[in-house]
Amino acid sequence: MSNYITGPDVVKYACSCGLLKPITRLYFCRHCLELRCGFCVCHEVDSNYCGKCCENLPSAEARLKKNRCGDCYDCPSCKQNLSKRAATVGPKNPEDPKATPRKVYYLLCLNCRWSSRDVGIPDQAAATGSWPERENVHAARLQEIIEMYKGIVLAEKQQKMEKDKKKQRRFMTFTDRTGITASMLRKRIGLPDIPHPLLKPKPKEPEEAVAKEEVEEFPEELLTKPINLNEITTLEQRLNLPEWQPTTVDKLFPIHKQVSVKRSQRCRACEHNVSKPEYSPTSIKFKIQLFAFYHIPEVRIFTVEPLRAGKQCELLLKFSNPTQHQTVITFLPLFPSEDSFASKEIKELVPDEEVPSREIVIEEKQPPSLPGSQPSSLLHTSLSRTPSITVKPRPIKQAITANVELPTSNFVLLPRDDAAEFDDSGDTHNIQDDTKLVVWRKSNKAVIRLNITPLENLNIGDEVVVGFTMQHIYVNTITAVESKEPQRYNNNVKVFQYLGKIVGSE
Amino acid sequence: MSKGIKIVSGAIVCEECKLRGDVTIGGGTIIHPSASIIAEAGPIIIGENCLIEEQTKIINKAPVGQIDNENVQELIIGSNNVFEVDCAIEAIKIGDNNVFESKSFVGNKVTITNGCIIGAGCRLTEEQTLKENTIIYGENCNMREGLDRPLPQTLQMDTLIRMLPNYHHLKKPNLVNNKKN
Amino acid sequence: MEMRDINYDRSEYVETASGNRVSRRTVLCGSQNIVLQGKVIIQSDAIIRGDLANVKTGRYCIISKEAVIRPPYKKFSKGVAFFPLTMGDHVYVGERSVVNAANIGSYVYIGRNVVLGRRCHLRDCCVIEDNTILAPETVVPPFTRYSGSPGIQVGEVPECQQDLMIDFTRSYYQHFVPKL
Repeated sequence: MSNYITGPDVVKYACSCGLLKPITRLYFCRHCLELRCGFCVCHEVDSNYCGKCCENLPSAEARLKKNRCGDCYDCPSCKQNLSKRAATVGPKNPEDPKATPRKVYYLLCLNCRWSSRDVGIPDQAAATGSWPERENVHAARLQEIIEMYKGIVLAEKQQKMEKDKKKQRRFMTFTDRTGITASMLRKRIGLPDIPHPLLKPKPKEPEEAVAKEEVEEFPEELLTKPINLNEITTLEQRLNLPEWQPTTVDKLFPIHKQVSVKRSQRCRACEHNVSKPEYSPTSIKFKIQLFAFYHIPEVRIFTVEPLRAGKQCELLLKFSNPTQHQTVITFLPLFPSEDSFASKEIKELVPDEEVPSREIVIEEKQPPSLPGSQPSSLLHTSLSRTPSITVKPRPIKQAITANVELPTSNFVLLPRDDAAEFDDSGDTHNIQDDTKLVVWRKSNKAVIRLNITPLENLNIGDEVVVGFTMQHIYVNTITAVESKEPQRYNNNVKVFQYLGKIVGSE
Repeated sequence: MSKGIKIVSGAIVCEECKLRGDVTIGGGTIIHPSASIIAEAGPIIIGENCLIEEQTKIINKAPVGQIDNENVQELIIGSNNVFEVDCAIEAIKIGDNNVFESKSFVGNKVTITNGCIIGAGCRLTEEQTLKENTIIYGENCNMREGLDRPLPQTLQMDTLIRMLPNYHHLKKPNLVNNKKN
Repeated sequence: MEMRDINYDRSEYVETASGNRVSRRTVLCGSQNIVLQGKVIIQSDAIIRGDLANVKTGRYCIISKEAVIRPPYKKFSKGVAFFPLTMGDHVYVGERSVVNAANIGSYVYIGRNVVLGRRCHLRDCCVIEDNTILAPETVVPPFTRYSGSPGIQVGEVPECQQDLMIDFTRSYYQHFVPKL
């Protein structure tokens, strides 16, 4: 049983960047009308949260705490969460009969049973916040170095501001671009450096690190004493504590848990969000969710006959329409005919930064067969924004190992109707289907028959991949200001099916 | 109840568990439903205050092709051991105060001493004797030494002793507690 | 891939008015403490320990063969109490998995042969892969995929997990049909 949750992905869609992904991993930017994937959108951190306590951490605080939660700890021995455990100990002065037993807390890993008592961390009186922090032995020096660099940054900033203030030179913008400062340039061309009168004295440099020649003597016992593996840390344990890198288990100390982020994703071409989650760490709702799964018809493999090289076989695909609008699906060859392919390449070659490539795409999306669709107002609004990055589509690298006989007729997919799930009254749609094509249909789903022929030269065990371009009508519901009618586009998506392996002949 | 099964009074043995062969269950031991204890190659003797959860399989299994009627091997399990859900035990001998977590497996060449914890999903198959207070955990059966033996589950067992008779039919104990040979 | 029909023996299963399909070959202890909200499938040899504490599932939960649902205990200074186990809607529990969690959110996929340690919290929309062992008291945040022993986060699940799980559990229920 293969599904989207456990994989493997047997149907993949081509993202506009050229990568092949299952539909669940794709976004559909309805402003550009293009598929986007996690690799071709901008990721932005919305909030930091700790996965254990599920609490948000303000970003300033997160930075201060080095992106770690102040309260939750990971086990230094096995990286699992540490739990706080309470224990009761006798009162401070056992002579006093009124004294109540005290509650103390220690940290315990429930996976490997490491506990804070193992390394002698004293039990705490309060459950939260009072665990001793370990200072790095080099903390002072690190701080010194950080200070120095901060000073340098500040000085450079000031220097730049001074330069901007003067503005006397109209040339030499070149230095700004290359990152070479004027003084460096002066040095390079042999002119003496003019000390700036307003420049602050250079920040104090910390002592230089000195290489030592004498090293500690080789401890003989390394060779003579038998090793007790229970006392020595594993490489992984050492690397979990990069500041200390303990060699023995008695120096393992709890690690603050790293925080996770919630992030929103933004289309790089039009700068609209394609995904924006709600703020709360435990929420699974989205403010913006332009997932392809909600906009593009989904293709699933229903059944496929045994695949034999050069022999035609039948492939049943199930299409379902996730939108609230009826759509028509037409099959087109995977790659358009030669000349249109060439023209597209020419378009790409024109380096015109003023006209975003998006416009061309939308022109393509507006077929002459749909009259009355005026130029989208969306186009006007989005034109005011210049795209941050123009994403160059990459060629799709997927070998096609079977030919598909594309049906000439198209078929209708009804809109999704959640109530239909509970309606058992049978199918009452009046759709004239091409019975050769459509095998079965119910509410927003239909099963389609395709004939495919794996290539002659395939051997037993070779993977069979077919692909086609699915054209569907996409109804854009972003209400245009002047035209109330929702826009209808023909949207083309390249879909690839991984059908399995060639089997032997009968 | 088959002849070979001896349950010391004070033990809570649910009716829906599977006991086969010569099995002795010590006082205060709790056996949850659908646990199986199969004394195939020789008797199994379980000490006091053990907790045996669902789907546990404790089998006294002779090595393949060596069912030897003359030289019967007993599987002796000490006291205060915890067998969590779906663990499989074929060990040679088990001491006291051990914890066998869910889906752990102890093969028939392994001897467990006292105070050991076999982590969830860990499989011990090679011939070995675990030292006291050894903790096995993780995918690669990492080993570390515990500071102390795990705490006995007395509190949990007290609760279970109160609760289980309300919901389950129990197997009647057939031995009095003073049998300590 | 479209799901295939899973046939069951009509005489083995009981279907309740709310559409729960429960095998007769399960061990449901303390059944008065078990609440199944409807359209829940419980397959053969699954064990639900309602005798320890209340167990409540949402709608469209699938408990596969030989899975164990067992409310966790918590130690207090005065004794041990078993805590109720709640499960959200559209949860799948794979074969031979042991669920000792305190709370399982909605739209959660738990693979086969998984161990969820005591008092784990699984938030909504998470996936636990096959053979994962989650240490006790682990918290699994939303949209994460856990795997390994001990289980650690290995990836993310797609943002449309909610709809995927609804679709998955619904079609599982629809394809879970009696043998003709």
